[in-house]
Amino acid sequence: MLSTTLANLRAHLPRLVAATLAVVIAVAFVVATLVLNETSRATLLRAAGAEYVGTDVVVTTTDGSSLAGAAGAVAAVPGVRAVDPTVSADVRARFPGRSEAHLQVSSVAADPRLRWQRVTAGALPERPGEIAVATTTDAAVGDVVAVTVRDPATGDVTSTSDATVTGLVDLGGDPSAGLFARGFAVPDQVTAWGATDPTELRVAGRPRTEPELLAAAVAPALGFAAVEVRTGEEAAEDAVADVTGNRLALAAVLLVFATVAVLVAGLVIANTLAVLVAQRTRDLALLRCVGATSRQVRRSVLVEAAATGLAASALGVGVGVGLAALVSALVGADSPLPLEGVAVPPYAVGAGLAVGTLTTLLAALGPARAATRVAPLAALRPTDAAPLRSRGGLLRFAAGLLLVLGGAGLMVLGVLAVDVYASLAGGTASFLGVVLLAQRAVPPVVAAAGRGLGRVGGVPGRLAAGNASRNPRRTAATATALLVGVTLTTAMVVGAASTRATAQAGLDAAYPADVEIGAYGELPASLLPRLQEVDGVAAGTALLGMDVTGPDGQPTWVQGVDPAEATPVLRSTAGLTLPAFGEAVLPQWAADAYGLRAGETLTLRAGERSRALTVVVGSDVTAPLLSAADLRGLAPEATAATLWLRLDDGTGQRDAIDEVTELTGAAAPDAYVTGLASERAAIDSVLDALLLVVTGLLGVAVLIALIGVGNTLALSVLERRQENGLLRAMGLTRGQLRGLLAWEAVLVAGVAAVLGVLLGGAYGLVGTASVLGGQDAVLLDVPWLQVGGIVVVATAAGLLASVLPARRAARTAPVAAITAV
Amino acid sequence: MSVPVMTVPGEPPAPVSSAAVRATGLTKVHGSGETAVHALAGVDVAFGRGEFTAIMGPSGSGKSTLMHCLAGLDTATSGQVFLGGTELTRLRDDELTRLRRDRIGFVFQAFNLLPVLDARENVVLPMLLAGRRPDPAWFDAVIARLGLRERLRHRPSELSGGQQQRVAIARALLPRPDVVFADEPTGNLDSRSGAEVLDLLRSSVRETGQTVVMVTHDPTAASYADRVVLLADGRPAGEVDRPTAASVLEALRGLGG
Repeated sequence: MLSTTLANLRAHLPRLVAATLAVVIAVAFVVATLVLNETSRATLLRAAGAEYVGTDVVVTTTDGSSLAGAAGAVAAVPGVRAVDPTVSADVRARFPGRSEAHLQVSSVAADPRLRWQRVTAGALPERPGEIAVATTTDAAVGDVVAVTVRDPATGDVTSTSDATVTGLVDLGGDPSAGLFARGFAVPDQVTAWGATDPTELRVAGRPRTEPELLAAAVAPALGFAAVEVRTGEEAAEDAVADVTGNRLALAAVLLVFATVAVLVAGLVIANTLAVLVAQRTRDLALLRCVGATSRQVRRSVLVEAAATGLAASALGVGVGVGLAALVSALVGADSPLPLEGVAVPPYAVGAGLAVGTLTTLLAALGPARAATRVAPLAALRPTDAAPLRSRGGLLRFAAGLLLVLGGAGLMVLGVLAVDVYASLAGGTASFLGVVLLAQRAVPPVVAAAGRGLGRVGGVPGRLAAGNASRNPRRTAATATALLVGVTLTTAMVVGAASTRATAQAGLDAAYPADVEIGAYGELPASLLPRLQEVDGVAAGTALLGMDVTGPDGQPTWVQGVDPAEATPVLRSTAGLTLPAFGEAVLPQWAADAYGLRAGETLTLRAGERSRALTVVVGSDVTAPLLSAADLRGLAPEATAATLWLRLDDGTGQRDAIDEVTELTGAAAPDAYVTGLASERAAIDSVLDALLLVVTGLLGVAVLIALIGVGNTLALSVLERRQENGLLRAMGLTRGQLRGLLAWEAVLVAGVAAVLGVLLGGAYGLVGTASVLGGQDAVLLDVPWLQVGGIVVVATAAGLLASVLPARRAARTAPVAAITAV
Repeated sequence: MSVPVMTVPGEPPAPVSSAAVRATGLTKVHGSGETAVHALAGVDVAFGRGEFTAIMGPSGSGKSTLMHCLAGLDTATSGQVFLGGTELTRLRDDELTRLRRDRIGFVFQAFNLLPVLDARENVVLPMLLAGRRPDPAWFDAVIARLGLRERLRHRPSELSGGQQQRVAIARALLPRPDVVFADEPTGNLDSRSGAEVLDLLRSSVRETGQTVVMVTHDPTAASYADRVVLLADGRPAGEVDRPTAASVLEALRGLGG
């Protein structure tokens, strides 16, 4: 029997291509997901957690107290080879040909094992007066950097010095590298530049020391409670988690997609094998005639499936690793999802093989049972008419209903309690339920849509509508494969859009101005008009600043804003209260200090003048904020102290900020430029990358489902050979016959796409609400264009899938109607 | 229902005869070389307008192949087939399809109705495919003659075999084709339903001048025809005019079948 099976396999190899392809794609996707996940992890560990990867133990204070005195105690612990108290200072630095900008300087460890910096040119500094800088600063070895140190409290310049660049450090992949410039100097130099006391100790153990044991030994030596002792690996993981947010969620999301791919592939494989069994009905019946038992027939189908599954899985593992390598090479280390090289964990290979083979075997169970039902007589009869009815399965219906209702309940809970895990579990359960119910729910929808189609599609449309609802089980299986892909893709697209909208709104509220320019001294009045002319700057407003006398008789710094001028500049006034004329917005601390409550009267004085203002308490102001008119009335000599700018939306923001920084630096050397425009752009690029990945997923899901639609039609063509021959005899042209199958495909694919988009949209909104619900208001955003695109793409894919079976059907000779076999 | 005769300058005009369908030197070879099977080995035959003809012959005599070639369902290896003045053997697939749709009706052994359409839709299907509207008076007349008025809304699965075959006959007659080909139309029916179907075919010939060509192996069925054409080993093997079951049986015995 095995030899027959293998002979069968060889003879029908071309027919197995579709099944093989589905397995290969699904397995490749699973493997690529796992490999990319591992690669991304490894890359991020090297980048964001770089300083901890080579470190055995990391000691951190939890209350900000100094660890300067603890270094000696830690060094005395047996097994410790070196201790590096990392210090860092924030200075202003001017690189040749550039204006002054913020630079964060960290100390370089004395012990070579604790030096984690990847030097791409030159060397790390050895003595004061030297500095190594990140490659992102565009500096060259030998450049001289002018460093200015200011008192953080007063803003007065405390020292200026020059430092020579000795080397360049590659921070590639560290997502924080783009936010500000970084430099590295010897500890003495960093201290001279005003470093605060160390709050972290990095410890290297002697060779062959277990980090966990060392950590356990270090902890008691410190003797006071406010420290955290972690191994280097733990610290690196934590640093990565800080950067990427919840990495567990990322892995979970990717694995959800892998599961989806496997599910879709399973449905497709089941369909493909059903086609194969149907094609071979007569062969199988002949086997039964010559004495094969039904068990032997079943085993034959299962062995065939297992062999196909294993071979296809092996191929899929290779394709998946290759795919991951390709993605990694394309994306590179400097993207929001940094990738460098490929890390292939053995479990990925094992999982790929197991998942592919098991899925194929499971999917083969149904067709194998169908094969055993082939009666020996079938060999002697012309092909049977297609079964028009399938059995209901009340159990399946009940289980599906239970899962949908239970899952929906869990999702409601997840949204209300803002618990993403409850929503995830609810979503999974309800979706499984939907898949189970699809068999009952999809055919009526297809039939209803078909009635509409019958009106517009002419005779082929009318026939297609009837054909599409003839075998409900198969129609449901085909539609489900597409439904799964479309649902998940839509969920991601809607989820990403809502996340973006919510995150942007949150940022807008927290940082209403794109760019804020402040100064320790005075800002020239000519600066604002010049900045407003910069390409990419949409609007700007100046805030007046002045020291006045508060109700307690102490001088206090107040600012004045023109609400009418400021409103169009600000992204959002949700978190920022602008004072009307006669009002003063006080931060909580000031209100407390003056013993004033909202609605009471605040009296401010400047020299001879005074002003009585109604108190408004605002959460987002750092100093009392008056209307510009009030402040001018109090102190006519008040000048611009802060500028707010709004940038045009779009891609040129980085250039605009550069130009604003240059102009500001030239006009007011001690001014600083800050703003969230770059963060906004960073969030956009992360979400864009996510959407790109989603588009890729749509490709995979649609590709697999496309094979499924093609297979179903192939099976239909096979079963309706006689009917198609009849239609040809009756006068249906080849073109009309192709149109008939195209309509059928469009009907099934279109219904699946529309249902999928509806379901997916709901899942996306629920997901966003349960992830972000805790923070402020959730903005739900449905990107209609993309969602519409999904429907169009999925439907077009269905149409495309009908091409091959339709060609085959069109070749049916009209005689087939009469000759039957 | 006259068909314009096309003439090509330089060629002799296609012979106009009273024949509705006619074949000359028709051969059909399956396979090639040593395994070649001559299903038709040179057949010259003509079927008159308004005539009910039965084609008979033993199994493998080529009677079905002949009908497929005459009806444009299958292509001949050589020879010519004319439907009126149109040479079928020259037409491309789409032209042939349109010709079948507009000018030929079929009745098959296995009824061959589309399961997704009801009886009315099955009857008008060829007209719909051609984008034509059935003439309501003619439609009513056909439906009445075939006794299908009460069954128009039924799906094929809700009809008996005899009823299904009557739907198939209505479908064949509705476009008023030049010729109706019937392939063993009583093969799947009990004798009473079979007799009904044959009566209907014969009355359509008598009353409306419909040309009918029927392939059968049943002498009783053949006895309903005006004439029986006998076939053996892919060649014509005689004719029986005004056949009875007995005379047909006699003629078949003469073929050794």
